[in-house]
Amino acid sequence: MNMRPGGELATRPLHFIWMADCSGSMAVDGKIQSLNTAIKEAIPNMQTVADENPNAQVLVRAIKFSSGAQWHVSQPTEVADFKWDDLTAEGVTDMGRALSLVAEQLAIPPMTERALPPVLVLISDGQPTDDYASGLKAVMEQPWGRKAVRIAIAIGEDADTEVLQRFIGNPELKPLQANNPESLVKYIKWVSTAVLKSASSPASQTLDSATPGANVPIPVLPESASSSAADDVW
Amino acid sequence: MSYILKPGQQVRTETSGMTCEVSKFLGGGGQGEVYAAVVGGKAVALKWYYPASATAEQRAALEILAAMSAPSPKFLWPSELASAPGVGDYGYIMPLREARYRSIVDMMKRRIEPSFRALATAGLELAHSFLQLHARGLCYRDISFGNAFFDPHTGEVLICDNDNVTVDTRAQGAVYGTPRFMAPEIVRGDAVPSAQTDLFSLSVLLFYMFMMHHPLEGKREAAIRCLDLPAMRKLYGTEPLFIFDPADDANAPDATHQKNATIFWSIYPRFLRELFTKAFTEGLSDPQHGRVRESNWRGVMVRLRDSIIYCGHCKAENFYDADTLAATVSSGRGQNAGACWSCKRPLSLPPRIRIARSEVMLNHDAHLFPHHVDDERRYDFGQPLAEVTRHPTELNVWGLKNLSRQTWSATTARGELKDVAPGRSVTLARGTRINFGRAEGEITF
Repeated sequence: MNMRPGGELATRPLHFIWMADCSGSMAVDGKIQSLNTAIKEAIPNMQTVADENPNAQVLVRAIKFSSGAQWHVSQPTEVADFKWDDLTAEGVTDMGRALSLVAEQLAIPPMTERALPPVLVLISDGQPTDDYASGLKAVMEQPWGRKAVRIAIAIGEDADTEVLQRFIGNPELKPLQANNPESLVKYIKWVSTAVLKSASSPASQTLDSATPGANVPIPVLPESASSSAADDVW
Repeated sequence: MSYILKPGQQVRTETSGMTCEVSKFLGGGGQGEVYAAVVGGKAVALKWYYPASATAEQRAALEILAAMSAPSPKFLWPSELASAPGVGDYGYIMPLREARYRSIVDMMKRRIEPSFRALATAGLELAHSFLQLHARGLCYRDISFGNAFFDPHTGEVLICDNDNVTVDTRAQGAVYGTPRFMAPEIVRGDAVPSAQTDLFSLSVLLFYMFMMHHPLEGKREAAIRCLDLPAMRKLYGTEPLFIFDPADDANAPDATHQKNATIFWSIYPRFLRELFTKAFTEGLSDPQHGRVRESNWRGVMVRLRDSIIYCGHCKAENFYDADTLAATVSSGRGQNAGACWSCKRPLSLPPRIRIARSEVMLNHDAHLFPHHVDDERRYDFGQPLAEVTRHPTELNVWGLKNLSRQTWSATTARGELKDVAPGRSVTLARGTRINFGRAEGEITF
C-alpha cells in the first residue's frame, strides 16, 4: 500500500540532440575516436544530472552527418537507457541536411506542445559542403528551434566558426573551441551536465551566470579552456 | 572521469594544520566537488571549489562561517578551510552525511515513501533549523531541493551546502537562489536574498513536500508551451498567483497536468491549508510582513502530527480536522470524520485528549511529549511522557500510561480522583481529566 496518494512530481520532456560531424577529416589525428570517447565519458554524468532533476524527463537523440545525414539514435531515449555506438568518419560535411532532419523533428507533432527548451549540440571540424543556410532556416522556422538552447563545439582550427556562430544565433555565446582531446572531453561534459541542468532546472543563480539575450541562462564553464595554437595536438 | 582531487591525494586543514586524505569522489555541483576524506582518523566530507568559484569573497565568507559553531547539529557546517601546496583553489571540511538521509528529489520521484508523520516531523525540523539559523542573523540564500535531506523513516533532517550562508542583508554573497524557489522580488531583480526571502523559499519547499507540486504552477503554467527563463520570470516573478488563491481562481490547478496538487490539498486539515494560503497570498504581496514565519510552520507541523488518525479499514494515515468536524456537528450531521483518502470508506475517530490549545489523537501508538504538557518545553520527540497502552487482560480497555517521573492525578467523569504513579495507566474514558502538573488534559471521544 502507498503511504501517500498521488504520483511523481509532474515533469516536462527535455529533448537533447547531439549533431556530430563524421566527415572524412574527422578521421585525421583520431578526432572521431576522441569524440566517441568524450560522449561515452559524458553519459554517466548526464545520467546523474537527469537523476537529480525532478522537473525534467531528459530524452536524448543523435544525428551524424557526412555525405548526407542520418539519425544515429533516432528515438528519444531516456538518458538512463542511452547507449553510444561509435561513429566512423568518411565523406563530406552535409551540415544543412542534418539541420533539416532536426527541423522535421522539432515540428509539433512529433514534438509535444509543452516541454522544456530543447538542447541542440552541433559538433563540427570543417566547412559545410551543402546548403547549411536552408537547413538552419528550417530549424529556426520551428518555434522549438527558436526556443532551443543551441551550443556549438568547433573541433580544431579548420572548423567554420562563422557558421557555428550563426547556428548559435546569440553573439554573446561563442562556439567552444576544442583544440585537443582534453578540452573536447571537458566541453562535452559541460554541455551534457551544466547546460542540461540549466535548460530544465537552472542551478543556483549567481551574479555572473546570466547570458544576455538567452532564454536559458548558459552557465559559465568551470574553467576557461586554453584555445591557443600551442595546445593544438590534432 | 577527471575530478579535481584524486583518491589518496592529501590536502591540509588550515586551522588545525592536519593532513586530510581524499578517499573518494561523492558528487559534483555548480561550485565544486565533494569528496569523502579522512582527517586524524575521522571520516569527514571535503568540498573543493572549482577555480572559478574559489574566489577571495567565498574564502572570506567561509572563514566567518568556520569561526562560528553550527546553529544546530542538523547543519553540515564548515568546520575549517583546507588548501594544498601549489594549488590556488581551496575547500573546506564538514561532517559527512549518513546514507539514511535521502534527498527531497528522491521523494519527488517517489523513490522514497515517507509516512505523513515522518513528513510532518521533517517539516517541523526544517522550520526549527532555519529559525535557529535566522536567529543568529544569518541568511541561507538558497533553500531548495538540493540542500535539505531527511530520513524517510523518522523525518530527521540535515541541511547541507551551508557555504552560501551569509550575514543577513549583506549583499555580496554570490548566490541568488534556485529558480522555482526564489522569492518573487528576487526573480524580478528588486531584492537580494535575506531572511525574509528565505521564508518564501522555505514555504515553497514545504509546499513541494506536502503537495508534490509547486504552489504557483496552475493553469498559467499548463498553458505555457516552452518553460524557459522569460516564462519562469512571469510565473515566479512578475505575475505570481497561488493555485489555491481563495479570491482568484485564474491559476487553479489544471486537471490533466497538475493532479497531485488537487489530490493532496483536500487531504490536509484546514489549519495547514490556511497557512499555505497565507504564505502564497500575503506572502507574495507583502514580503516584509506577510510571510509565514518559521515558528508558525513549527506550530502547525506539531499540530499536524497530533492530528494523524488511522483508517480502521486499510490503516492509511488520515487527518483529523477539528474545523471540518465542528462544521458537520453544527449542521446537525453528527460527528462526521469524512472518508479515507485510500479506501474511501468512512473514518472513525480515536479517543482524543485536549490539553490547553492542542488536541492529540490517542491512536494505538500515540505518545505525549514534554511540549504537550508544558508550553515552555522545546519540541523533543526523544523522551515521551505518556503512551497509549492496552489493558493486560481486558483487551477492549485502552489507557494512557505515565512514562514520566511525576505522579499525575486523574479525575473521572463521575468525579472520582485517582493518582496515576509513574508506570501506571489511566483508562481512556470520556470526560476523564488528567492533571500532568503544569497542564491538565481532558479525554474526549
